[in-house]
Amino acid sequence: MKSVIVHPERCVGCMQCMPACATAHSEAKDMFLATLEDPRPRPRVHVGAGPAGEGFPNRCRHCDPAPCALACLPGAILRDTETDTVLIDPDLCINCASCAMACPFGVIRYHDDRTAPPGKVVAVKCDNCLERLGQGLIPACVEACQSGALTYEESDQALKRQTDQVAASTVAAAGAARPAAPGFELMMAVKRATKETNRTRA
Amino acid sequence: MPKHLIIGNGIAGVSAAEAIRALDPEGGITFIAREELLPYSRPMISNVLAGSADFSQLPIRGPDFYQDLGAEVVTGQEAVTLDLEDRTVTTSSGAQKDFDTLLIASGADPRKLKAKGAGAKGVFYLRSADDVRGILRALPGTTHALVLGGGLVGFKAAYGLLSRGVPVTMLIASGYPLSLQVDAEAGAMIQAELVKHGLSVEVGVEVTALETDTAGRVSRAQLSDGGALDCQLVVVGKGVWPSLGFIDPDQITVDAGVLVDDHMMTSRQGVYAAGDVAEHFDLARGTRWVNAIWPVAVEMGRIAGMNMAGRKVAYRGGLSRNVIRIFDLDVLTAGLVNPPEGEGYQVMARRNERLGIYRKLVFKDDHLMGATLVGQVEQGGVLMNAVSGRMPISGDKERLLEPGFNYAYLQPETAQAA
Repeated sequence: MKSVIVHPERCVGCMQCMPACATAHSEAKDMFLATLEDPRPRPRVHVGAGPAGEGFPNRCRHCDPAPCALACLPGAILRDTETDTVLIDPDLCINCASCAMACPFGVIRYHDDRTAPPGKVVAVKCDNCLERLGQGLIPACVEACQSGALTYEESDQALKRQTDQVAASTVAAAGAARPAAPGFELMMAVKRATKETNRTRA
Repeated sequence: MPKHLIIGNGIAGVSAAEAIRALDPEGGITFIAREELLPYSRPMISNVLAGSADFSQLPIRGPDFYQDLGAEVVTGQEAVTLDLEDRTVTTSSGAQKDFDTLLIASGADPRKLKAKGAGAKGVFYLRSADDVRGILRALPGTTHALVLGGGLVGFKAAYGLLSRGVPVTMLIASGYPLSLQVDAEAGAMIQAELVKHGLSVEVGVEVTALETDTAGRVSRAQLSDGGALDCQLVVVGKGVWPSLGFIDPDQITVDAGVLVDDHMMTSRQGVYAAGDVAEHFDLARGTRWVNAIWPVAVEMGRIAGMNMAGRKVAYRGGLSRNVIRIFDLDVLTAGLVNPPEGEGYQVMARRNERLGIYRKLVFKDDHLMGATLVGQVEQGGVLMNAVSGRMPISGDKERLLEPGFNYAYLQPETAQAA
């Protein structure tokens, strides 16, 4: 299953994911019309600034088991196993902030929302853009991200790519540290030429 | 096929049963439940009192919870005696239930008011859904209510009654409100917020006797300072005590609560305890402790259930924590809030009058040991997990007090350089 993967080292802090997210969760699905809506759509992804001012796109990890769901007093937070998404039921939420105390990443906010009963403040967080996925779109934050800090892919593939990168950097570093023996390059060039000649002859 | 018996159908018992069922589809599960209701959210009863939630919202699982889980339940009964040789529990109706593994999740009971007349009509505790039903029935004819105790329950009771339009006086024996949860400065902020909404607070005063009218209902309270207050309703919030009257301390080791090891097992093989009745370990205090709070009961229940089903899983310990919303004020606390003097704790606090926020952090060496947040509590979980995970805080600790604090502040330097 594909999921949104965060690469904080690539985040330039442009915050484009935030309005994209708010728009995706608006009635109008248009950034300019969304600003006129009441309640005003708000983002579920939060670009925080680190201590040195570096960007950090903070987003719900949809943990399993989810600490917010375990802490929820009215049992309003549940996992949708089909999409592997942790969802908050705005009708059941009582805005007690128990999930704020549980979330290790601090990604839950409390405000009114078009999915909640009018005037009711509820806990709001990332829903993996299930509405967009149903329309064949990718999550809005990923679509908006131009720096590659947010990607939408199979997590094992992303992991493998990271592993390969680490492995490659190790090999490259090793090569730089220990130059090949004199004549090695010439020998390899001869070998490659011989092989190529043999291949074209056959 | 093992038989699992669970005393109590609170969140610890329910979490344990669900953990058992996830690992053991066949084993028998039986609950002994004191209340007739489906498992419900005990902390939410104060929301019902305040009118922000309804009784129908209290159940935490569906109406077919027991059937879906393949569990049996006997309701309206308490455990009376444990026979650990025969491995049976006798209930208040005289029924005997046998077990292979037993979970004691009997919870805690409110501490009783010791004043004269404490049994009068109109005197309530705030512990069960029935308590709230009683308080709501007593509201008509109540022109003034008294809340005894300035802890969380006292505050929730006072908030609920004020929300219902009843004038409330709160009597606090200790120096300031929520003295076990927050420091004096946050306590003053909370008190100011409640006073703004009509609460009267009297500090250092206790009730010595309650007088009743001809119908036997409370009408007046005599106070320790010689004064008296008219009241038709009294809510007692003096804390809770583990409910372990049915346990023979010669058979199962008991301290303040039932002592458990890291697998939630008591001193007897196959007998476990979890929730408000259990005494394990507090991560911030570094000592054995009863953390009688909902999230710890969930954690303990899950660990107990997995171990009862045969999977050895260890619990690292719990952490005191609480969050309350009082009118426009949010207060979140985690871990050690008022550290003892002279033991090497470093305390940092900052108040931002403009944003209406106050933050206090307690450090020991490179570790965060506790946090108090008033206003802007959204990042409380980040701090809570820094405490419980013993996450080393390198560099300038002061920056954790900044209004913009977020998860990125705790990232190791290497991750930023990469």
